[in-house]
Amino acid sequence: MISFLVNNVDVQVDAPGDTPLLWILRDWLNLTGTKFGCGVAQCGACTVHVDDQARRSCVTPVASVAGSAVTTVEGLAATAGDGRELHPLQAAWIEVQAPQCGYCQSGQLMQAAALLGETPDPSDDDIRNGMAANLCRCMAYVRIQKAIKLAAQSQNGGRK
Amino acid sequence: MSAVDVTRRWFLASLGSAAVATGFLPGGAQAGPLFGDVSSRGYSPTLWYEISGDGRILVHVTRAEMGQHIGTALARIVAEELEANWDHVEVVHVDTDPRWGVMITGGSWSVHKSFDQLSRAGAAGRIALLEAGARMLGAPLKDCVARASEVRHGARAISYADIVSSGSVTRQFTEEDLKAIALKPASERRFLNRDAAARDVPSKVNGTAVYGIDRKVDGMVFARPVLPPTRYGNSIVSWDDGAARKLPGYLSTVVIDDPTGTCQGWLVAVAESWPVAAKAADLIAVSYRSDGGAASEDQMLAEGARLVENPTTGGIFFQEGAPLMRIAEADALHEGVYRTHTVLHMHLEALNALAWQDGSTWHVHAGNQWQSVTLPLVAEALGIDQADLVFETSYLGGGFGRRLYCEYIVPAALAAKKMGRPVKLIFARSDDTKFDQPRSPTVQRLRSVTDGRGALLAYDHRCASGWPTRSIVPEFLAPSADGHGTVDVFAINGAGHLYDTASQRIQAICNDVVHATMLPGYLRSVAPGYTTWAVETHIDELAHKLGRDPAEYRRALLGAKGRNGGAAPHAVGGANRLRAVLERVLEKAGWSAREALPPGKGMGLALGTGQERDMPTWIATVAQVFVDVSSGAVTVERLTSVVDAGTLAHPDGALAQVEGSMLWGLSLALFESTEYEKGLPRDLNLDTYTPVRMTDVPELDIEFLRNDHMPVGLGEPGVISIAPAIGNAIFAAIGDRVCHLPIRPEAIRAAMGA
Repeated sequence: MISFLVNNVDVQVDAPGDTPLLWILRDWLNLTGTKFGCGVAQCGACTVHVDDQARRSCVTPVASVAGSAVTTVEGLAATAGDGRELHPLQAAWIEVQAPQCGYCQSGQLMQAAALLGETPDPSDDDIRNGMAANLCRCMAYVRIQKAIKLAAQSQNGGRK
Repeated sequence: MSAVDVTRRWFLASLGSAAVATGFLPGGAQAGPLFGDVSSRGYSPTLWYEISGDGRILVHVTRAEMGQHIGTALARIVAEELEANWDHVEVVHVDTDPRWGVMITGGSWSVHKSFDQLSRAGAAGRIALLEAGARMLGAPLKDCVARASEVRHGARAISYADIVSSGSVTRQFTEEDLKAIALKPASERRFLNRDAAARDVPSKVNGTAVYGIDRKVDGMVFARPVLPPTRYGNSIVSWDDGAARKLPGYLSTVVIDDPTGTCQGWLVAVAESWPVAAKAADLIAVSYRSDGGAASEDQMLAEGARLVENPTTGGIFFQEGAPLMRIAEADALHEGVYRTHTVLHMHLEALNALAWQDGSTWHVHAGNQWQSVTLPLVAEALGIDQADLVFETSYLGGGFGRRLYCEYIVPAALAAKKMGRPVKLIFARSDDTKFDQPRSPTVQRLRSVTDGRGALLAYDHRCASGWPTRSIVPEFLAPSADGHGTVDVFAINGAGHLYDTASQRIQAICNDVVHATMLPGYLRSVAPGYTTWAVETHIDELAHKLGRDPAEYRRALLGAKGRNGGAAPHAVGGANRLRAVLERVLEKAGWSAREALPPGKGMGLALGTGQERDMPTWIATVAQVFVDVSSGAVTVERLTSVVDAGTLAHPDGALAQVEGSMLWGLSLALFESTEYEKGLPRDLNLDTYTPVRMTDVPELDIEFLRNDHMPVGLGEPGVISIAPAIGNAIFAAIGDRVCHLPIRPEAIRAAMGA
């Protein structure tokens, strides 16, 4: 049994330790918001947070997160701590209508949340560089960038 | 003049007749029956929506949602004529049922093809509700109006919900009634050309949207394919899963014995979880008998080069006059050869399908763009009647044409049959890429003759490529315009440009070396993605050769003569609308100041009218680039596109499609390609196959010319003018031209003679 926190809930998983966290989330825990894209940490569709750091769950053995706190897109809103249904990034994503097919967007959101965690007021270059490893095949990049800017502004405004 | 009279209409008509033979009825098109279903659920004036007793308007969407927000766009069309309250409108993506008729999502057709049908359906509902509402209000019909899901008479109103729940709306419509309805004048529109939030977006930001890969059913097991060394000609001699059997959770290996011949030499590894199935697939030792094609990229391109020079090959897509005579007699001939390398779909949701049997009915859950072609294939593979097979509908994690012909459902269904339990087959990314249906390599030769003033006297375009339609639905190949042989219009569309030309011939040639090796597919922008690259590069070369400003030269050729003058309702204005987007893009991009750009920078122009002459979206693009002459690296600084797509059913969705498609065009121009080696693509994953990332995105400047004409396509047309605009900008910057895609730095250095 491997124990860890997922979206603030204690879970215990009976699986080989080298099973990628991605499949544990999707098929053991029914959290299918996290997506399988490339399987080799090149597209970012599977991005989650492990102890607040963005990680590619497709190459993260579940044993390595024992005792850690994992956050998926399903738990993102709660991390804002304001009791709202949507994280400021999710609200911004809707505001600018960022998703097209949407498949990469959970990963984009989790990557963006990690970016704002480290760089609360990112420049355009900070956003581009911070998000470069997350592929959007529909190429909704213009709006993703815009949404991150918008969320940063609303978060920063909220703190003032 | 002889043209292949197989355009989109022919294609769909054929689909319709094929569909009748297989038990499908074309949606709402049969003569005789009345539409107007009054049931306990509510009122349904046609198939396309129903109004329930609580006033909800459920719009039945048969097109796949793969990023276009298509449900929103189609529901806006219904809502417009129905005079609905938008808040009451819901989008329902329906499963396969013969009553929906042909189900296909491709060709950028969805809005265009549905517009008239859905408009009339909406109007029929409004008429029926107005009549019933007037009766209930005791008011003269002529004094009542429908607005926001109410019938109003002066200050009094009755809601659609009350009318429907009272059971007093009973009006039925014949096909002739529907045709006779006069649609609202554009001045009365309240929905079209106006924005609304897309209905699919909220579920796509919180993880609740359901894609093919997300579905679960009880008792389901997981599988990964074990693929043969090439697409065709493989059979299994022996196999051994001894190593796999040591994996806890491994269940078995299924030999895919496929009566349709789709899977040639496939196995499927089955396990309790996908990671175990994935590992097992790598551990299964297989020996094959192989006699399939295993050509390299160079061999496919060499064959293409040979074919375009061989006068006996090819079917005629369009011919007018006797261009070859003019070419033979010409003092000066301008000739160019343009090539493109193989490109891959790389839709981010890896191929997958879940199949299971429930009583006598088989179910499939998988992303799907063309249910009407895949469902009969899967039924044949399973040996069942099509009536016993249902495809559930889910969102697609990217379609881009790869999920039109969903041959990957066959091994999932056969594995489920063999296992006697539900099987979810998921391809590893490398599996998906190996058996992609790529855009094949292409070789095109263009020859033209002009008079002293630059008018096109003769024009000859020969294009050698894979023909997706030949592999997927060969019965839909069109007869050549001269009666000899066939043409895949989806391999040559876009070649029929709108420049006035005294005589011309356009031919499509099927590259058999491609077909022996890969299953060439439809890839976003399809043929115009390479034909327009050739046409717009060639026209640019001509302009420079004649010493003309490429913009002014194009303008001079856009005289809208003959068939270039357009046709109603789909192509009103023809080349005049292309000239209008051209004028506007020149203004926006600052074309007149281009000579003042610093060394190494240049502007290039290209026009596009994808996806086809019968449904042109008029686009003009100016690219501004910087070329680092020492490395050959190209930086695209700005892309300016002006688009006329007629009425926009969902303007913000239209803009999103153009944003994405312009970047897709940039990706195909500079970033994406693979080369076949021994029958497979060399680049199997996103470590070496490198689409545009956020760091590569230039400034995008987009404008729609707004009007009330028939809506046309938007998913793909934005792609096609980008590559030639960039190529032409590179020429403007350095005075050298690269005539093959993608344009890599080494090709630029070679062109500069470095």
